[in-house]
Amino acid sequence: MTLLVADSISISFGGVKAVNQVSFAVKQGELFSIMGPNGAGKTTVLNLISRFYDVDEGNLTFEGEDITQVKTHQVATKGIARTFQNTELFEHETVLSNLLIAHQQHKNTGLFSEMFFLPKVKRQELSFRRRAEDIIDLLDLQGYRDQMISSLPFGIRKVTELARALSLEPKLLLLDEPSSGLNPEETEDLSFWIEDIKEELGITIIMVEHDMNLLSQVSDRVLVMADGSELTTGTPEEATSHPDVIKAYLGD
Amino acid sequence: MLFVFKTAYEQDFGLFKHAIQRNCYLVLLVLLVVAPFVLERFYIGELSELFIWCIAGTGLMLLVGYTGLVSLGHAAFMALGAYTNVILNKYGVPFPISIILAAFFSGACGLVIGVAALRMTGIYLAVATLAFAYIVEKFIGQGGSFTGGHRGFRVENFEYFGVYLNDPVVFYIICLITLLVTLWLLGNLLRSPTGRAFVAIRDSEISAQAMGIDLVRYKTLSFALSAGITGMAGALYAYKIGYLYPETFTIFTSIKLLMLVVVGGLGSMHGIVFGAMFISLLPQIIALVRDLLPIWISQRRGLEPFVFGSILIAFLIFEPKGIYGRWVKIRLFFSQFPMYRKSTFKRQKSFLRTERVH
Repeated sequence: MTLLVADSISISFGGVKAVNQVSFAVKQGELFSIMGPNGAGKTTVLNLISRFYDVDEGNLTFEGEDITQVKTHQVATKGIARTFQNTELFEHETVLSNLLIAHQQHKNTGLFSEMFFLPKVKRQELSFRRRAEDIIDLLDLQGYRDQMISSLPFGIRKVTELARALSLEPKLLLLDEPSSGLNPEETEDLSFWIEDIKEELGITIIMVEHDMNLLSQVSDRVLVMADGSELTTGTPEEATSHPDVIKAYLGD
Repeated sequence: MLFVFKTAYEQDFGLFKHAIQRNCYLVLLVLLVVAPFVLERFYIGELSELFIWCIAGTGLMLLVGYTGLVSLGHAAFMALGAYTNVILNKYGVPFPISIILAAFFSGACGLVIGVAALRMTGIYLAVATLAFAYIVEKFIGQGGSFTGGHRGFRVENFEYFGVYLNDPVVFYIICLITLLVTLWLLGNLLRSPTGRAFVAIRDSEISAQAMGIDLVRYKTLSFALSAGITGMAGALYAYKIGYLYPETFTIFTSIKLLMLVVVGGLGSMHGIVFGAMFISLLPQIIALVRDLLPIWISQRRGLEPFVFGSILIAFLIFEPKGIYGRWVKIRLFFSQFPMYRKSTFKRQKSFLRTERVH
């Protein structure tokens, strides 16, 4: 079953065609990677899917529903979560409340019941708290639960951001360079987690990545982009051995 | 050092961190309840005013400290609350109802202004709210007999069941109860989803959106709540000063409020109280020091705004976390003595942030 379809999407900034007529379809349960040299438009594709940018041309369909005009904050409710390349966490909050902010998109309490902290709100807080603990367990964040984000090292921030995205309980997870800034051990942990997320939680993943090892280890299919256009799509081996791809990376 | 061992998830969202903290606040509460019966009239009045500033500060702290939006026009909401309350009283609405209606009216004005002004951010929002405050001031001045115009009017005293509203002890207790209720409501809000959404918007609008938070909705909500609470403070303030005219609430009042939240410590509920103490004590201290200064300084006009301004700048440079931030450091110094390291609070070099998408 197809989860997300991008039908020849384009966007330009001034005269620059950042993404030019790119099409792909991501199947349920698949790990779909996007690679390409700097400035190829990989992150822009993620920004288009998560509706930070408006698509100039083309259509995005998620679970058979057109999401091209959906508001940015509604994307999360539809079941799409994302992480950012250089982390974009809530700095002056603890790891735990970062996760709780993600959990609360399923809240069913109003302003007045929250102001008086009625039993309903308390029960809801407890259920959020329990679910946050599950994610903390999954990603080994127990030691950092009550620490401020501003005091954490970069590697832990990356993991926290992954945890926060998972807390949205998404169907589709967009990872923007999950391994950038991580050391080899951390990258290895990450590759196991990504496989766990895919296999055990059954979440479909679109990942932008530079690390070739990680890429070929975990991805089912790879889309290669250069200068905003699609070069090829295929299995990691097919994609990396394609003559156009080699040319894009190494020149003629 | 004190370690809190958590054994239940409820402890993560209690209003107090641990039993000792709760007991300290209970002692403070008892002292505050006993205070009006032992203190002199003057000090009771000063404390009531301090409570009113705390309430107004709570309103602005919600907006500036927790949602990350700046307003330079919060005096206008105090004015709206004060006038609504007094005018309603004039038409026979009893005090407890009129103060709530005043808060709602002020909040409704905040909602309307918020819808229009919150398309702007940062300095533009500050200027828009400043303009709003100016408009409200002029509007009240032109209100004729309804608002008393530029000459203003005297706030009538009230009597219910033989109790006078302007009796210092009665007024003190009304202010104290209002403050406690306001702080309790804010505390509740901050430990539930809406409060976390505000904080999320303050820290990163991009992430907040990616987490499914509707920026327009929550920013407007925060603005309206903030306006409502500040309006309630204004309603009480009207009875404190006993006479209302448009210049009661000027840009200087707005700046004083903003100073309250910055000097107190942005994003902390303790900061509200510290900040309010600071702005209500400083004029007294200046008045005391004025007598000791040489005459060519002490007789200068504008000495008070000058001192206020210099202290604000000093705080921004040396202690951006405000009095509460300094208090946290002092507390840590004693709890870790002699192991305290100055570098604990050294600001880290921040990591590169994602390029802003908007």
